[in-house]
Amino acid sequence: MQTSQYLNQLHTADKLSEEPWPEDATLYQPFEAEQILLPESASCLAVKAYLKMCNLPFGIRTCANAEHMSPGGRMTKLPFIRAGAFLFAEFEPIVNFVEQKDMAIGSWQDEDEKADMRTYVSLVENIFTMAELYVSFKNERVYKEVTAPRNGAVYPWPLNVIQNYSKRRNALRQLKVYQWHDLDIDQVIDKVAKCCETLEYKLKESPDTPFFFGDQPCELDAIAFGHLFTILTTRLPNMALAQTVQKFGHLVSFCRFIDEKYFQMRCLQE
Amino acid sequence: MSTPKDPNSKYDLSKISARVDKVNVSGLQRTHDDYVMRAADGLFKASNFQEMMLEAMAAKSYLHELGIFKDVSVHIDISRGADATPQGYEVTLKGKEFTRIMGSAGTEIGQNEGSLRTELTIPNILGRGESISLQGSYSSTRANDLQLKFWKPFFHTRFRENRPEASFSLFRQTDRYDISSFQTTNLGYLLDFSAHTMLGVDLTHSLQYENSIRDLSLLNKSVPFGIRDHCGPKLASLVRYSLIFDNRDASVFPTRGLLLKSVNEYCGLGGNVAYTSSTAHGEVNVPLFAGLVAQFCGRVGVVKETKKTTVLPISNLFYCGGPLTLRGFKYGSAGPVIDGTPIGAQTFWCTGAHLWTPLPFAGVFKGLASHFRMHFFYNMGNSNSFSMENMRSAYGIGLAVKLAERARIELNYCVPLQKQATDKVTNGFQFGIGYEFV
Repeated sequence: MQTSQYLNQLHTADKLSEEPWPEDATLYQPFEAEQILLPESASCLAVKAYLKMCNLPFGIRTCANAEHMSPGGRMTKLPFIRAGAFLFAEFEPIVNFVEQKDMAIGSWQDEDEKADMRTYVSLVENIFTMAELYVSFKNERVYKEVTAPRNGAVYPWPLNVIQNYSKRRNALRQLKVYQWHDLDIDQVIDKVAKCCETLEYKLKESPDTPFFFGDQPCELDAIAFGHLFTILTTRLPNMALAQTVQKFGHLVSFCRFIDEKYFQMRCLQE
Repeated sequence: MSTPKDPNSKYDLSKISARVDKVNVSGLQRTHDDYVMRAADGLFKASNFQEMMLEAMAAKSYLHELGIFKDVSVHIDISRGADATPQGYEVTLKGKEFTRIMGSAGTEIGQNEGSLRTELTIPNILGRGESISLQGSYSSTRANDLQLKFWKPFFHTRFRENRPEASFSLFRQTDRYDISSFQTTNLGYLLDFSAHTMLGVDLTHSLQYENSIRDLSLLNKSVPFGIRDHCGPKLASLVRYSLIFDNRDASVFPTRGLLLKSVNEYCGLGGNVAYTSSTAHGEVNVPLFAGLVAQFCGRVGVVKETKKTTVLPISNLFYCGGPLTLRGFKYGSAGPVIDGTPIGAQTFWCTGAHLWTPLPFAGVFKGLASHFRMHFFYNMGNSNSFSMENMRSAYGIGLAVKLAERARIELNYCVPLQKQATDKVTNGFQFGIGYEFV
């Protein structure tokens, strides 16, 4: 029975590009107000921005066990999207899925630009996700006051204690793998500042267009918006990340522009 | 002088008057005295030699049950000393206590599964029969169980006949539901109290409280979304009450008697899982002529929501079908199906009618043949519906082998009669092993 399941998957994968985007595609994420954490929120916002830029309809379902339902991923495992019979989690796999359907933005880019953009996307995702994980889990005050109560909000005692313990252990292990575990907060801020500098430089390269590459949005716009906007608008006991990003005026106005164009959340103050 | 044998029937032992002056229990090192005191009660009541011997045997088996002695021997001698009465006897019960730590390894048979189990026990740890044991088992459907159990019997109290026992265990067990492609890992503790009541009929009661974390995870990547929806950990806090009435003359091939068993669970005292679940199992055996036995079995299971239920846990649903319930169907294949994957049902019922016969030419192989039986059976049952329309049924003939007085192996040739479109049947031979069949 196992082999026939795999053959089935291969067969349907071949038909991937032929099937249109389903009407009832759904994005699954944890509860927005009580549960979701900083890195997860950034990833979810990035995917939402990307799908809006591609003009693809999707529904949002929030559930407490979104993380456990997810088919798995490299970093946060969230959000995951269900389109017909397919399940994909995290920003990059979802983007790859959409590109296979020939509905993605960025199809106007040539090969060189695409490769260039991919490196930026990779840089943004790694640096910002690691920084968000660091602040959420390694910083004692943020962990105790924000991360732990939020993560355990959906479980009864003592399950919340056990879940927090195991999630923190996983996060610290991930930080160790990416060699962020032994950095101190200043080095983290330094890395984030350097990344922001690179982004601002790229933005300034084409000063008359609002997006990173030309006058059409691309993946980099989506993921940069997701992370930057979330960092700027999430209140934490330690606002080091937000203060760092605030220094880069162009990035802040970029976020405001994308927000105005696609979301109208209007949480960024002047 | 060791226990005198009854030499010839010339002597009627009940006519010889006797009186027990003293009862010695030796060999107690860490056991407390009050735990074994009841052994002497019956002996002091004896008024003649026969009674004394019978009471001495009863005292010996009582001491065995207490779970403190490996070996018990009884010595009866005439009583000596200053306050000895004529016809006075002194009874000495010599016991050899269990060693401080015992280990065992073996196989265990469950419902259509076999497992390897190892156990490390510290018996009689506080002097009154309590024991702490660490059990680990590995099986085909439930991988890597681990349990640390503290067990305390209350056989020395005045409720001795009711055999009350209490236990507290910490456990970690994994239940695999292979046909539905998910598994649950349960980690928690269990408080258990069981006793017998003898008001008219002999019933075994057991009351349990379980508090456990149930983590549902998937066994492969392409699982229907309806099952994926249930993933994640949940905290269950439940009370379980079970009642057993068993007056059959044997567990494996009974010829007469009745078995009634009922397990009821109420989950929802805290935690975030809530439901009530009841199962009942009954078996009636009627002896006919020439070694034939007619047997009727039935089983019913119901899972209901309570006010606090958000969603019924998928791991508590009932699987109908299989060599232990509806023969002729694959395990769990007589129930609802989601996207091609069978899942359990909220309610199910299953009945069976059997005609048990000894093997032909059983007289020739006397000893061996008593372990075998043949049966003709007719099973019917259904999931999620208590009506007889659209029910599933099968009949057939089979051979059963007794295994160690507790379990039975069956090899049946089944012919399914009525089935539904999504059912998976085995038209032909089917093998089953277990201890509770329908």
